[in-house]
Amino acid sequence: MIRKRLIFTLLFQNDCFFLSRNFRLQKIGNYEWLKKNYDFSMITDSVDEIILLNVSREGAEIDNFCKIIKTFTKECFIPISAGGKISSINVAKKYIRSGADKLVINSNLFNKVLLKKIANTFGEQCIIASLDYHNLEDNFLFYRNNGSKKINLNVKEIFEILSNLPIGEIILNSIDMDGTSNGFDFSILKKIPRSFQKPVIYAGGAGNYKHLVEAFRKKEIDSISTANLLNFVGDGLQEARKQIIRNKIKLARWN
Amino acid sequence: MKNRTVTIIDYGMGNIGSLFNAFNYLGVKVRISSKPNVIEKSHIAILPGVGSFHKAMKIIKKNSIDNAIKNIIQKGDYLFCICLGMQLLASKSFEEKPTKGLGIISNKVKKFTLKETKNKIPHVGFNQVFFDKGNKLFKGLQSGTDFYFVHSYRMLPENMSKNISKTDYGIKFLSSFVKDNIYATQFHPEKSQSNGIKLLDNFLNIT
Repeated sequence: MIRKRLIFTLLFQNDCFFLSRNFRLQKIGNYEWLKKNYDFSMITDSVDEIILLNVSREGAEIDNFCKIIKTFTKECFIPISAGGKISSINVAKKYIRSGADKLVINSNLFNKVLLKKIANTFGEQCIIASLDYHNLEDNFLFYRNNGSKKINLNVKEIFEILSNLPIGEIILNSIDMDGTSNGFDFSILKKIPRSFQKPVIYAGGAGNYKHLVEAFRKKEIDSISTANLLNFVGDGLQEARKQIIRNKIKLARWN
Repeated sequence: MKNRTVTIIDYGMGNIGSLFNAFNYLGVKVRISSKPNVIEKSHIAILPGVGSFHKAMKIIKKNSIDNAIKNIIQKGDYLFCICLGMQLLASKSFEEKPTKGLGIISNKVKKFTLKETKNKIPHVGFNQVFFDKGNKLFKGLQSGTDFYFVHSYRMLPENMSKNISKTDYGIKFLSSFVKDNIYATQFHPEKSQSNGIKLLDNFLNIT
């Protein structure tokens, strides 16, 4: 049967990788730092997928970001998704041409024309719809543009629209839990309508392997993403994967 | 043999970079080409692809890549088809609108339905691939090895029983086949970590 997936998300801006906490970015280190602290062969040994996000806030930095995508795809033989600043089919093509397998779309998610163009070229399985949200006592508020612009739709309306968009997966990211390492907030899962039948990636809050195991046990969750660069430094990801498998979560096994 | 050149057929769809990197990693020469005269002279050609069947066939026909592919097969050279590439071998697909495929395999391509899979569509992620002993594509791998899938359509398994693999996504479907000099996988070996690299190496050792 299909395995659950552990995804490592990396935020990139101005040649550096960043840690996000409640969507405020903190610079961690450049590519050399990443290579020193995370052996790439170890990353691909421990996670099932990588998401690279271009979080540059001034200027789009498309070409610089494409270089990073290329670097990753040279050494990592697992799926790599790229997101951030996909405002046109040309940017989408550049990311794919650089080696991305899938595209994460947040700010332009409700741009139907753009989504159709991308889906017609690369297929709808190529599009991961990204939703960032605040939980105000189980009242969910959605945001775009790195959490800075509110989307005036409630959770029911959002999923109605998503059902009619050409997308392959969704990623739900809690702004409140983002980067806190305090564990996941699962309350939005109850709000996903039963009729919505796309794989769900869950993000925001993973601090240790126990959080990951707890989330993997939820039937609504197909994949978990962690973007916390500091929680799993060194062999942290590898150890987490071992523990997850030990807890009888079905993850892929490598030869 | 490792001193050979692998030609990746480029018709503008899908992620060719990772295939290039995977073969590069395995130490063979790799070239990417969209020219039918280059493609048809290849000893080892790869037909990749993700995305729309309809659009892919349109581009392939327009650029006479369809004939180049058929020539490769006729000459007895090797063709490896991945994901949409595997589906394109079929006679017909129902993606967007009914579209004729390359017709090299007489089977049809159909979308998974929720009713038959009881699972989310697309089928995305690592899933187990089951095969019979002696399938040379999987040499050194155990039946049940994980490979990465991302697709909503699949080739129907009619008249295929030898040298195939199956995968269970609520229903069992055809996840790969070997037929003469044609090798095809619905999954992405170039995205399946060490499992996929091993499979690609097996393929190179056959050629």
